Order: sequence, then structure tokens, then C-alpha cells
Amino acid sequence: MKRFVHLLLVLALAVTALSTFSTGPARAQEGPTGTWFGTWPYILPPEHHLNAFSEGGLNTNLGVVYKSFVLLPPAFMMWATNEYEPLLASEWGFEEDGSAYFLTLNADATWSDGTPVTSDDVLATYAIGRILDWAQYDYIADVEKVDDKTVRFVFSGEPSMLAERLILKEYVAPAATYGELAARAVEVYESGVAMDDESWTTLRSEIEAFRPEELLASGPYIYTLDDVGDSYMTLRWQPNSLFSDQVKFGELRLWAGETEATAPLVLSGDLAHSTNVYPPSTQEAFTNAGIRMVDLPRGYGPAVLFNFDVYPWNVKEVRQAAALVIERSENAFLTNGFGATPTIYMAGLPDEMVPVWLPEDVIDQLDHYDFDPDRAAALLEGAGFSKNDDGIWADADGVTLSGEFKFAAEFADFSGMAQNATDQMNEFGFDITARAVPWQESAEDIRNGEFDISVWSWSSASPFPSRMFFAPIQRFNYVGLPEGQNGMNFPMEFEWNGEMINLDEMINNTSAGLDIEQQKQLAGEVALIINQLMPFIPTNTLLSVEPLNEALISGTPSDDDPILQNPSGSGDHFIIYYILTGVLGPV
Amino acid sequence: MEATPAPPVPLEQEAHMPRPGAAGLLRQGLRRIATSYTFRVIVQGALTLWAVTTFTFVMIRQMPGNPVDIKIDQLMQTRGMTYEEARNMAAGLFEFDPNAPILEQYLDYMGKLIQGDMGQSISSAGTPVIDQILRYLPWTLFSVGSGLLISFTLGVFIGMAMAYWRGSAFDNIMTAFASIVYGIPDFVIALLILLVAGVQLQLFRVGSVLGGVDNDIQAGFNLAYIGSLIKHAALPVLTYVLASVGGWILTMKSSTISTLGEDYITVARARGLSEGRILTAYVGRNAMLPLVTRLAISIGFVVGGSVIIETIFLYPGLGRHLFLAIGSRDYTTMQGVFLVIAFTVVASNILADLLFGLLDPRVRVGGQQS
Repeated sequence: MKRFVHLLLVLALAVTALSTFSTGPARAQEGPTGTWFGTWPYILPPEHHLNAFSEGGLNTNLGVVYKSFVLLPPAFMMWATNEYEPLLASEWGFEEDGSAYFLTLNADATWSDGTPVTSDDVLATYAIGRILDWAQYDYIADVEKVDDKTVRFVFSGEPSMLAERLILKEYVAPAATYGELAARAVEVYESGVAMDDESWTTLRSEIEAFRPEELLASGPYIYTLDDVGDSYMTLRWQPNSLFSDQVKFGELRLWAGETEATAPLVLSGDLAHSTNVYPPSTQEAFTNAGIRMVDLPRGYGPAVLFNFDVYPWNVKEVRQAAALVIERSENAFLTNGFGATPTIYMAGLPDEMVPVWLPEDVIDQLDHYDFDPDRAAALLEGAGFSKNDDGIWADADGVTLSGEFKFAAEFADFSGMAQNATDQMNEFGFDITARAVPWQESAEDIRNGEFDISVWSWSSASPFPSRMFFAPIQRFNYVGLPEGQNGMNFPMEFEWNGEMINLDEMINNTSAGLDIEQQKQLAGEVALIINQLMPFIPTNTLLSVEPLNEALISGTPSDDDPILQNPSGSGDHFIIYYILTGVLGPV
Repeated sequence: MEATPAPPVPLEQEAHMPRPGAAGLLRQGLRRIATSYTFRVIVQGALTLWAVTTFTFVMIRQMPGNPVDIKIDQLMQTRGMTYEEARNMAAGLFEFDPNAPILEQYLDYMGKLIQGDMGQSISSAGTPVIDQILRYLPWTLFSVGSGLLISFTLGVFIGMAMAYWRGSAFDNIMTAFASIVYGIPDFVIALLILLVAGVQLQLFRVGSVLGGVDNDIQAGFNLAYIGSLIKHAALPVLTYVLASVGGWILTMKSSTISTLGEDYITVARARGLSEGRILTAYVGRNAMLPLVTRLAISIGFVVGGSVIIETIFLYPGLGRHLFLAIGSRDYTTMQGVFLVIAFTVVASNILADLLFGLLDPRVRVGGQQS
């Protein structure tokens, strides 16, 4: 027995020793050294695959931040100046008559196998995109090859800056990998069949099920499925990209998982940067551990949504009163600690975009709805409401300002906002009951109009006013939903200053054409309407508070670096540009 | 528990009986099979599996949101798309039609299942569910199975010792320990291990223990790989052990105490049997009986893994995969995992029945008499 125990002990020691000394790097590589330690919630093989167009492929596993290191988009936008910096493309712009948009690829751009990136790659990408019904085809009718490096996108209608952004942010995939599917896509489209034709849907399924065996990268990093581990995956440097000589990291290590898995890694110094959302207490722990936190805009935040089919929420004064009795600083803090800022202008655009897009005279007219219960009371009294014996506001028929405030239980920011707004409104004399529901149900209830008051995002991480105004007034309203769903059911056609207007069209037109001044004028009108009618209450905007461990990386931007105005989830995250151009490097 | 066989026909009677033809033999054979205990158990198991499969099929479709809607919401939220743009993109990503009648979906699913086809993942078209299960199941079996085995063994021995030396310092300390760890949720234990032992005390590097195995080690039957497997499974296993050992200890202690008061223990002592013999052959064996059923049910749930533990430790098991599948409403994957869990629970219950008979002769005897 003793001998058996000894044998077991020896075996255990040997196994432990081997495991300790056998975890060194398996491959040596040329090029830069050092590792970037980031995170992305990728999935594992067999679901993980290398298709750039389908779910489970590059979009899922690299997201908008890390996909750019493998497949370069044509350009990167600096939000502070609204200007694009070249990545895969060297030139771009609208043709003089506005009928098309041209794009010229960098003459030196090559794939990882050394072959050049050409117009054929762009054509293949968009041929497949047409079968997948990409948003670009809302604006363009065709993509034409001008020469080996230049393509032109022919507009189907007016030229659009929205289309420009879609074109400049689209990742170009290699024709060498997708050429066969692209050729069939062209055939199917040119045969003139409708999108629900069997040939179209079959090809769509084939595109989805396509599994490339290996990647071709235009960016300076590449990986194979062997590089996808259970806890992290590794993007390895490759020498043939435009940016291969500029980058300073030999590999990008992406830890798997979400907040619960990455928080210990940040604290232990295994993670240099993360885009996960951490609760305020965790953020404090990071700071205490000497880890720098950078604030990036998210471009959106939680808003109080009203159902206009339910009285009294369709009464303007009631909504305005609600806006006046929610103290937004407190509400922002309870939404996401220091990762949320109270809204100032209440105009349907994030505050930082107000000076960019709204004329001065419009900004001066905006009602800030500063916390003022007396003004709220006066508004309600003017509309025929008074407090009953229970201290609840009621109309002349005794109908109280009562309702249910539904919120998504899983979203800590939404639930914090909703519960605090409920408390503050009740303190004033509303009779609101907060109710947590699963997030999927919450979204579905809003779409179906099965709510009194609810919470969802307003605005979005887009540089265009039409996209910023989009949520929630179009997104969760009958104009943006399929038939049979009315959402908030806020009427978009009504009389305003003596004439009939269509707010839906007005919002869409704020990004139509190329005349910025005209767009600003229209954006100003929309902002004033939203500000005065208060169809939703934009209580605060969220910040992405991201840990940046300067013990692991050098070249981090200072707090006043304009690139930090780029939103976190927009595809223009600052780390994309700063890693590609070698600003960020290992310590 | 085996059904009592029919008494044999006396030879003299058999001689005068007409010899059955082929059809008769077949009927006899079928009747024998139909009345056999094993057959009944298999049929019961199959019916249970069908019921569970049908129930989960319906229930998961009652969950708010479907794979397409969830994707549409994600696309609208993260990429600022309009509903129409997001819907078009989602339609291109999934072959699943959420508007198909549920009966049609059910018949399609069951038709394939009968042929051994669990279908393909909805959120990752082209990936068979069976491949996913085969990819993740071994990790869960290894980690949760080891944890269960260790905690059960520890629980039995510690519980028995506590009962035997009741009132001692050992008993008091272990009772307090068992009560405390039993009351702490497993995910809290996991986070405490990582944050206190890993981050605060720096007993190990957090990044080096996450996942199932080191990325740079080639899979194979070699010491380096096995060592890496053990290193990465150590913390999840420790969590499972800490989270469940308290329950085993307390149950075993209580069961042993009641067994120690039985007459046959007094008789054994009076016969002058050694304490060791009494403890193992008389006390332990009988005191373990109540734990056997519980163990069998626990074995059944081993395959479900521990969803949160595997997520925290980035362990590539079925639980972590189920967690992701639920989040994306990947119906076929969820159904596949639930089916495997149901199968294991049914199989382990049958095993428990048989094991109970082995451990307790009274059950065998009772079964035969009945």
C-alpha cells in the first residue's frame, strides 16, 4: 500500500512539474515582439469559423474592434473632426455630378499571401453583400470596376453621406476565397429573380454555410482555428499588410468571456484593455489597483418611453412634468455610476453632438427641463390635474397618473435608471409601479405596445443626425416596425406651427444629400419638436469606462486626445487606429 | 427489483403440451420481453425522454424572443441599424423561420431525432448539434464528474467520522465548516477563489488557470497535456467540491447517527467485532443508502455542468455552451443539451435502482418475494 501511495505521489509531482515547464510559446515568429492583451467574447470551434459574412465567423469572433486587424476597411473616422483617415483605401469621394462614389485602394495593399488587393475583391465583397441585402444597396444601384485599384458605386438616388460611411467602413473580403460564391451571386442577380426566389435563398444559405479553411488577411494580423483556445485566441503578426511595418505587437491575445470572466483578469494584470461594462464598484477596484480608466462615449443612453395609446401618457404636460421631476444627475449616477452623464439639452441628440449639428439660435431655444417640481405642478394644474387625498395627481374625472414601468431586469443600467425614475416620479405624486421583465420580453413588449412606460436606448453611435434621432422615436414606433406592431405609437404626422409636418420624413432628411447646412437646419427643427413634445425622456448618456493598463502598454492617449471622442462600439474605436499606426506598443 | 419469473412447467405436463410453431415461439418471446423488467424500464425511460423532449421543445419557444428577434435587437443596438436593415441581415444569417407553425417545427425536429439527427445549430448554421455536444461534453464529465466523486467520497468519510466521534472538536469544526460552505452559492466560491487566492494573495496567475488546457500544448496522451488538463480543471473541481461537500457531510453524518442506534450494531459490538469492521461493513454500508439515490440524481446532472462556474473559469464545458445558447436562443442546441441531460438523469435513476438492490439485500429479497 505504501509503495502504491509513493508511486502516486511521484506521478503527481512529475505531472505538476511538466505542466509548469511546458507552457512556453510554441512558435517563434519574426516581426515585432510583445503582446497586446485584449478581450472579445468569441465562440469556440466547431461553431467558430472563418467566414467573413456569416454568423459564427469573423463578425462574431472579432467584433467591430478586432476585425479591422485582419480585414482592413477602407478608412477610419476621426469623430472630433468628421474626417476619414486612410486604411485600405488611398482616395475616395463623390463624383462631381453626385451620381456615384469612387474608391481607390492603396497601390501597395496586399493580402497575406502576397497577392495585391484589387477592385475584384471589392466587387466580390459587394456581390455577396447584394445577396445578403446589405444596407448599402438602399443607396447604391451598382458597383463598377474602373481599373485594378478603383471602383465606383453608382447611386440609385441622391448621393448620401450615410452611404459614404457604409462604403468606407465595409471590410473588403478576398475574391480568392469568395470569388466562386460572388460569381454565382452576380449570375443570380443578373437573372432578374426576386429575393425570395429559390435560387436567391439557396445561394444565401450556401454563403452562410461556407467554411473557408484558412484566412487571407489584408490587415497585419491573421489566425487559424488552431489559435483559438478555450480561454484566449491569438491573432499573429503577418508581414504582407500595409501596416505590418508599423504595428508594434507581435500578437494580439484576446481573452474570451464577458464581464464576469474578464474582471479578475484586469485585476491580475493579464488584460491591458477591455470594452466590457463593469459595475462602479469594480471600476473603483481597478482604479485602486493603479489601472487607468478611460471614458469613451457610447453615443446612446437610457430613455423613458411612453405609450401614446395609454392615457395619460399621451398628454404632453404629463410627459413634460415627468421630465421636470426626475433629477437627472442622481438618475445618471444610479444608472451607471460615473459611466453615465445626465442629459443637458434634451434634444434627441447626445449633448456633445448638439453644438456640431444644431444652429446657435435653436440651442438657445431648447428647454433643459432642469429639476423643478413647482414648474411640473403648475404644468399639470394648467392641464386640469390636481392632487387627490392620497397625494396622487389625478384629472377632473379622478383618473390618477398611474402606470407600470417595465424594465429589462438583466441590464443593470436600464434597471437602475427605471427604478430611480420611478422613485422620483412617485415622490412628486405619480403612482408608478416598477416591474422587471427579461430583456427579450421588454423589447418585445415595447414593439407590441404592451406597456405604459418603459426604458430603452435613445440615440446611437453614429455621426449622422438621422441615425441619432432614430432611437427610439422611429425604432420603437409604428414607422420603424413591421406591420401589426405600433410600439410607442407616437403620431409622426401632425400640425406644427400652423402646417402639417411628417416628422419621420424630416428625420430621414436630416442626413439626405450633401448639403451640411441644410441638414443642420432640418436637424434644428427636429430637435425643437422633440424638445417641446418630449415624446421620450432622454435621461442620460452612457460612457464606456474602459480599463487601460499602462503597466502593459505604452503610447496610451492623454485624456484630451481628440481620438477619445470616437465612440466605443462604432468601428472607430481608438485602439484600432493606434495599434495599426504603431502609437500603442508593448512596455 | 427484477420481476419474478413464471414458475417452470412440470416436465410431465410439458410432454403433453402441443409444441408451439414459429409464430407461437415469436409470440412467447415477445410476451416475455414485454413483461420483463428491463423492457419496462426501457419503455418508461423512452417515454420520459419523449415527454421531456416535447416539454422542453414547447417551453423554450415560450421564452421571450427568438433567435432572429434577438439578433435584430443586437444589430439595431450595436450597429445603429433600422429595423428593416437589421431584419434583412438577420434573415441572411439564419435559416430558421420563427413564423413556421410550432407543430410543423416539432414534427420536423422529432422526425430527424428519431433518425439520430439532432439538427444543426440555429445561430451557427452548418454546425451539427451532435458535434457541439461531443466537443463540450467530455470537459464537463471530467470536471464536474471529478468534483462529484471527490466531494461524495470526502463527504461519506468525513460524515461517518463525525458521527462516530460525535461531540468531539472534529465534529464541531466540521459541522460548522459544512454548514457554511453548503450555504454559499457555487459562483460566489468561484469568484472568491479567483479574486482572493488569485488576485489578492497571488497564489496563482489568474490567466494561467482559465480555460480547459494551455493553448500551446498539443493534445495527446502525454504528461504535459494531462498535467495541463489537471491544472486547468483544478479550480472548477475545487469549486464543485467546496459547494457540494457540505451537503454530503451533513447527510452522511445524520444517516450514520441513526444507523449507529440500530440493534444490529449493538449485536455486532456484543459479538466482539472490531470497530473497523463495524464501521465499514455494518455502519458505513447502511448509512450510505440514503446517499445513493441522491448521488444517482447528481450524476444525471453532471452533464449539465455548472453553467456559471464554467463561464467564470472559461471552462469549455457543456454548461458554458448552454449559457451562450440560451442567450442567443439557439433552440436546437438547447434542445440537444437538454436531451442529453434528460437521458443521463433517466439512465442514472435506473442505475440507482439497481445499485440500491446491491447495497441493501432487503430490497432484493423484498423484490423477489413480491
